[in-house]
Amino acid sequence: MARIRVVFESGQPERVIEFDPAKAPFQHDGRPGSILDVLLANGIPLEHACGGNCACTTCHVIVKQGGNALTPNEEEEDDLLDKAPGLTPTSRLGCQAVVTDPNAEITIVVPRYTINQVSGTHG
Amino acid sequence: MAEREARLARVVEHAPDTRSLFLRLPPGERLEFRPGQFVSCLLPVPSSCTSATAERIIRPYSLASSPDDPELELCLNLVPGGPGSHHLFHLTEGAVVHFTGPWGTFVLDRAPDAEAVFIADGTGIAPIRPMLRRALATARHRLHLLHGIDGPALYGDELTALARDQSILTVEHVPSARLRDEVVRRWIDADDERRRHFFVCGVGDIVRTLRDLLRRGGYERRAVQYEKW
Repeated sequence: MARIRVVFESGQPERVIEFDPAKAPFQHDGRPGSILDVLLANGIPLEHACGGNCACTTCHVIVKQGGNALTPNEEEEDDLLDKAPGLTPTSRLGCQAVVTDPNAEITIVVPRYTINQVSGTHG
Repeated sequence: MAEREARLARVVEHAPDTRSLFLRLPPGERLEFRPGQFVSCLLPVPSSCTSATAERIIRPYSLASSPDDPELELCLNLVPGGPGSHHLFHLTEGAVVHFTGPWGTFVLDRAPDAEAVFIADGTGIAPIRPMLRRALATARHRLHLLHGIDGPALYGDELTALARDQSILTVEHVPSARLRDEVVRRWIDADDERRRHFFVCGVGDIVRTLRDLLRRGGYERRAVQYEKW
């Protein structure tokens, strides 16, 4: 079984998810078997404003361990990450990073903020 | 981001499979957004989607209207088998649409400090339209729009009139199948000028194709902005 440890920058308790990558997709948003797919299916509401279509950066996560067990970044993902707040060398978009290794041991941090939005106003 | 709601005020049919939906926010409310951004509609999960764990599906749609327009305009194609567009195409006037946003980083706040080229394929003109309007308001360098479209040109009369009135802008329409070759001919083979800025939007692989052509053709990565739906 693959395992993802999810640490929240907001301070909420961390979660550990065990799953079989071969059984993806686990729900309908993001690439099948992606971090977003796995988290949503396990009740972790990772933001994904564009529906997991690689059009925003709200599913930005920082991979602390196990990055080699994920599919590599594509140019489109990198172009979006360029505009993500708090970008790090191991940042990924949850909707694009697919877990490929059935024995993966991955740790991710979910950042606190996103900035690719401007607030709506209620007058 | 907080969920918002708007009512479908009217529908304009551009073609049998292409429509604009005009959404009106509740009295006193407005949506601040940047030209090029999109909203994400929260739509009912289709009955065919048996694996769904969420109560609603999220479908992003570019805003074809400008920030100062009185209504929000979504311009979309009916996608065969696509639950989002199928739902929206069957709404009647007065229906409530729930959404979040605005979202997205494919934006233009003011005209680039260099010649700018806007390339749209089909309904990819939606975010380009408000970007172009904003660019026109602030432009000191030439602006070009190349729109690949089969059939009647979306916003064709409006954009052609803009180009007629403002000599800084050129607007041209070509069949979608010729878009790639026209880009190569005009902005890669024609000269060695590589300071232009590009804004590319469309559906599917054509967007990646154009991005790669332009970047490999010598334009700076960050000078080639794109949105692929």
